[in-house]
Amino acid sequence: MPFVFLSLCLLLAVLGVVLLNKVQRLKELKEKVVALNFSLEEMDEQAKLIMRTDMELNKAQEELDKKVAGLDILQKLSREISTTLEEKQIFKKINNQYVEELGFEKSLAFLWKSLEREFQLYLSLGYSPDESLKIKAAVNENKDYFLDLIKSGSTASSDFVAEGALTKSKINHLFMVRSFIICPVLAQEGDQGFIFVGTQNLETTITKGDREFISILANQIGQTLDNARLFEKTWRSQQELELKVEERTRQLTQALEEVKKISKRKSDFISSVSHEIRTPLTSIKGYAAILLGSKLGALPEEVRVRLEKINRHSDELVHMVNDLLDISRIESGKVIIKKEPLSLKAMSEKMADLFSEQFRTKNITFKSEVPENCEGILADRSQIERVFINLVGNALKFTPQNGNITISAERLNNVIQVNVKDSGFGIPEDAQEAIFEEFYRVDNTINQEVKGTGLGLTLVKHIVEAHQGKIWVKSKLGEGSTFSFTLNAA
Amino acid sequence: MGFSQHKDPVLAANEAITQATIALGDDPEPVSLAIIFTSIELAHPVILKVVNNLLGETPILGCSSLGIMTNQGVFKHGFAVLLIILGQHAFFNVAAVKEISKKDSQLAGKELGDKLLFGFRNVPRSLSIILSDKLTTEGPHLISGLQESLGRSFPLIGAATFDNFEGRKAYQYLNKEMLEDSCSGILLGGKFSYGLGIKHGWLALGKMRCITASSGNVIQEIDSAPAIRLYEEYFGKNIVELSKELRHISTYYPLGIYLPGEKEYLLRNIISIKDNGSLVTQGDIPANSKIRLMISTEDSRLQATVTACEEAKRKLGVQKVKFVIVFESTARSSFFGKQDNSELCMIKEIFGESVPLIGIYTNGEQAPLKAINYLGRTYFHNQSINILAIGEQ
Repeated sequence: MPFVFLSLCLLLAVLGVVLLNKVQRLKELKEKVVALNFSLEEMDEQAKLIMRTDMELNKAQEELDKKVAGLDILQKLSREISTTLEEKQIFKKINNQYVEELGFEKSLAFLWKSLEREFQLYLSLGYSPDESLKIKAAVNENKDYFLDLIKSGSTASSDFVAEGALTKSKINHLFMVRSFIICPVLAQEGDQGFIFVGTQNLETTITKGDREFISILANQIGQTLDNARLFEKTWRSQQELELKVEERTRQLTQALEEVKKISKRKSDFISSVSHEIRTPLTSIKGYAAILLGSKLGALPEEVRVRLEKINRHSDELVHMVNDLLDISRIESGKVIIKKEPLSLKAMSEKMADLFSEQFRTKNITFKSEVPENCEGILADRSQIERVFINLVGNALKFTPQNGNITISAERLNNVIQVNVKDSGFGIPEDAQEAIFEEFYRVDNTINQEVKGTGLGLTLVKHIVEAHQGKIWVKSKLGEGSTFSFTLNAA
Repeated sequence: MGFSQHKDPVLAANEAITQATIALGDDPEPVSLAIIFTSIELAHPVILKVVNNLLGETPILGCSSLGIMTNQGVFKHGFAVLLIILGQHAFFNVAAVKEISKKDSQLAGKELGDKLLFGFRNVPRSLSIILSDKLTTEGPHLISGLQESLGRSFPLIGAATFDNFEGRKAYQYLNKEMLEDSCSGILLGGKFSYGLGIKHGWLALGKMRCITASSGNVIQEIDSAPAIRLYEEYFGKNIVELSKELRHISTYYPLGIYLPGEKEYLLRNIISIKDNGSLVTQGDIPANSKIRLMISTEDSRLQATVTACEEAKRKLGVQKVKFVIVFESTARSSFFGKQDNSELCMIKEIFGESVPLIGIYTNGEQAPLKAINYLGRTYFHNQSINILAIGEQ
């Protein structure tokens, strides 16, 4: 019996311990559940944080993507538009794809035609032809609102419409959209207008970025319109100018032909007159010579003096006639230039020899400075000799006592430039071109004293040009002159 | 497979069908079926007339969509055609049920099922593809009606093209008819094999909640509180702010219904918020469903595409893939944005560049669940990508 009692007590004690353990474990589990719940709540709070952050990030990403896409589209559009120089073509470059990528499916562009006093439609995307016509009529019914918008240069959009005749809902109704942007197209010259983009998408919210993009697009269109109009204007001016140039060229060609005819007639005239004059001149000179030679008896002194004058003037006249005939022959191409290698140094020495007496009389120092590389020239001996004689003779004539005359040369590739420099009186600047014209003589005291035909330099010019060369003069009054001409090197 | 972006429907149909005909090679067998997809602005009777003229008596099935996917890329505008030559022992039937909004959805579904079954006596049935205007609200009943006719566990793949958010119209093409407010479909059978993969890539976040009151696609209460409270708590915004940003929040953070045995939750987009705080979802959520808020990343979404493709390919076994049809949620397309082509590249990489691929962007997809406890029944999905690979027999 006591054993049974003890066993029961023991069993109860064991059960009590087990129960206590169970209670303890239950308590622990409850605590764990509380802790888990707490963790779960904490995690849920973290999840909320993640959601909110993720949403902000997604929004930022979307806005960024939209901006990048918008910039990309604007760049493409700008490239397309800016290369267009025809007003109507500018709007044709804007297509559905571009507008859609900017987040809209409808687009219109109107330009105000001041002559017709109405807005004309230049672009319609996302509308049927009937819808476009209906909108155009509605825009013109409310033209004052849109003209004010253009005048103020402000943008209207779903998120902001300035006070005026049209409210946001009226604009939505007019353009059959739920969100929109209207931006003026401002050109410096000519007709201005506005561009409209819109969408029926209820979810679309017009952002500042959207307005900026459309504003940039409108500016780009405005600038391109200016360019196109400027191009049109320039093109028209150019066309007019071309017509004028064509007309003037035709007139000049006619005049040139006239001049050529006159020049030929003049040459023919000079040639025939010179021939006609030369024959009686030869007779006059012959008879004068006979009389001066006393072959017909002695002449009284007064008669001799007069006859000598006749003889001298006849010589001058013959000289002039010969020059005129030479000029005429060269002009008409009757003179054949026979080019041969000549020594410039020898030519220079020949001049020194030819004019030695005159140099001595006027105590003029003559110098020849021909470097070795300029030694050989290619020219017609007799013709080029006349050039040297004329130029050195002129230098001698206009160089006072104790002066200097120098013949020098320099080589440039295959061309030799010959310079005849004197320390004479010089030629006035305004006469430096004219001296090569026929019968032109500089108005100075020397020319008044020393006689001349005014044909020497003209002949020189013709001979040099017949050698495919050029001649010019550099001179300063009181410091002397340098006549330069070019010849081909041998 | 042919595709054209011509704006003129005649030129578009002509170009795409010419391309597809050339792709069939010299002296091909007669075309059994043509699947056509158009963008909204090309949804015009003229295009269907041209297609019929060019293809003769070839059966035609298709619909309009907010976007088209082909081997050539992802396009918002265009016309795509897939000319299919089925084997001698493969059978199919195309049919449609019209004016579904005026009919009892269950009966409309049964009507379509009965039409599809025409001529299928003693022929084993494999799969049905349904293209519908709306599958959102009345969809489950319509599918239920179809299953009544075709069998409860019969595999159905469906795509809804109606835009719930923007209310744009959608059209179905069946032979010579361009239909609105309709549901068209095809029943395939005989010697025919396919592989299907469906994934979305969203992951659960936060505490599990319970739908304590709902009817159809309207959730009145979650954890005995107005349903909107869940979104208010998680996003720190009131009902007005949430309504404004609904599309954004709904597509990024849909509700996920916990499905025991399934690897992914079944997603539900919120399409509107009622004044009393009830949430209207794109598809039903039964009461007592366990739900969680869902979140995704670009990687998880792309990975889902890869997994769906691999799953479809694996189910075909050693069979060569003849062509691939893709039904992808429009919402997914908006996430990928300019990266649509990178997703397409992944699909092509898995199936091979030369395998013809055609797809549309949808607003709700129907596909069977995989776990055995769902007995292969078809459920309505949101934001998923359905890859249907058809095998070469």
